[in-house]
Amino acid sequence: MSTPGHALLLAQRALIQFPRNPILLGFSLMPVLIMYLVFGGLFEGVAQLPGFPTENYFEYLAPTAILLATVPGIGNAGVALASDFQNGYFHKLLTAPVSIGAVMLGRLLGDCVRLAVIAGLVLILAVALGARVETGVPGAVLMIAMGTALGIVTFGALSANLAVRTRDAAAVQAVQPMAFLLIFLTSAYQTTDQINSGVLRTIIDLNPAERVMRPMRELMLSGYDWGEIAIGFGVIAALGLIALPLTVRNYRSVYS
Amino acid sequence: MGMTISLRAARRHANLKRPDASLVGATRRSALDEFVGIAGGPTPDVHPGGDAIVLERLTKTYPDGTHAVRRLSLRVAAGECFGILGPNGAGKSTTIGMLGTLVKPTGGRAYVAGFDVVAEPVEVRRRIGFAMQQVGVDEFATASELIVLQGRLQGLAKRDARTRASLLLEVMDLDQVAGSRLGTMSGGTRRRVDLAASMVHLPPVLCLDEPTEGLDPRSRAGIWDALDRLRRELGVTVVLSTHFMEEGDRLCDRIAIIDHGAIVVQGAPAALKARVGADATLEDVYLHYTGRGLEATTPVAA
Repeated sequence: MSTPGHALLLAQRALIQFPRNPILLGFSLMPVLIMYLVFGGLFEGVAQLPGFPTENYFEYLAPTAILLATVPGIGNAGVALASDFQNGYFHKLLTAPVSIGAVMLGRLLGDCVRLAVIAGLVLILAVALGARVETGVPGAVLMIAMGTALGIVTFGALSANLAVRTRDAAAVQAVQPMAFLLIFLTSAYQTTDQINSGVLRTIIDLNPAERVMRPMRELMLSGYDWGEIAIGFGVIAALGLIALPLTVRNYRSVYS
Repeated sequence: MGMTISLRAARRHANLKRPDASLVGATRRSALDEFVGIAGGPTPDVHPGGDAIVLERLTKTYPDGTHAVRRLSLRVAAGECFGILGPNGAGKSTTIGMLGTLVKPTGGRAYVAGFDVVAEPVEVRRRIGFAMQQVGVDEFATASELIVLQGRLQGLAKRDARTRASLLLEVMDLDQVAGSRLGTMSGGTRRRVDLAASMVHLPPVLCLDEPTEGLDPRSRAGIWDALDRLRRELGVTVVLSTHFMEEGDRLCDRIAIIDHGAIVVQGAPAALKARVGADATLEDVYLHYTGRGLEATTPVAA
């Protein structure tokens, strides 16, 4: 069996685990939905400002909620990998002719499915609140794919690397709040034009997450902006090119 | 009256919980017969020269400078059961880890089933079953799921993996907990599940690091029985490390006592005992070769 075959088997293992861990499911879904509802209610007035791209703030906020689900959420893959290191199961898997890449990929794939479902639920809630996905179901799928891909190359990679370096689930969990910073320093809650601080605008411009947030928002509010979509996937690919060799190097240390 | 009823109920419960030992033994044997039958005969001899395991000056020095294994050389014939005994920190787990491709040697060579553990780790893993000292299980999986997954990762078809898992669960006396999650099981039960997972693909070589640690005598006897049968009928080679002298005596054709990463003595248990004294036990042998003043001992070949 090849690496993709092994990865699929291990992704299935992760998917079987999720319903058996209702706390994980609940706590990866509820905060996102609550934040969506709370921030949507708090900043609803922003949508009334002149030049704001939509009158329904929940529409504007939907891509943010997707990233809030996927980017910090993928960190759970690292927590699970660290647990596997701690209890010895990671090495047990490696006693079979399975590559380290397959073990890691399997875990990430499983978590991607979980997060895609959560992101889908966020969009269903958005629609229930009167929002409309301009590009329909294909656009929604693309949004979720972009959000999940950004999660993998940022906090997915970070948490997987921390898992192998620390082999401590608590240490991996400790960095998860950093994911919120990555998202908050984007046009998550208001357009950059509405932000007064020039420094903050520059930081937002430089934040790779912003390059992904923009096409996602376009998909939600306007339509397919293929130029922005290409930039978004380009940023994801570039981050992946940095994360992948680093991760491969770190995981080689598994064989002590 | 109430007390009488509850005592009766307790007895009935106890009877239900403890089926007739001979019936359990028969079920286990029959499952083992069926499991062994799956292989259809001895495992093919993939070991050039008849040796399943060859270590040539195998060395492991960890990055912190610890010399865990020093120029260890030995040969284990196909179908042989070879025991590694030694005090804590002697290098037993590191040696077995290198055989299982989980620990990278820093010097020398090791061949398992004819394949180099460094150059051909995937080929080695296809041919070994490996149970680690630290039992590694997925706590959210059931016993059955864990064994099936290990079989699937070893390339078995889903149906085949399920059949084998179910037989192994019986062999290990685990059929009652097949559907229970590993997170709810005791350490000993997890160890038996881990051992079953190591055997699911019927490997020609089994590397077991303290396989019966923490098991009750009944479970231990069941595992010894299974290992005996796998060796006798399928020619499976077993390398195990253990602290149980009885285990070494009962299972192993040959034993190596290692200390400070080097072989102090090796040979058949009977020969080693005879060397120490007329009525010597394996424990006497162990104490003789690992006792005080051993540091000055030069490694002795059998």
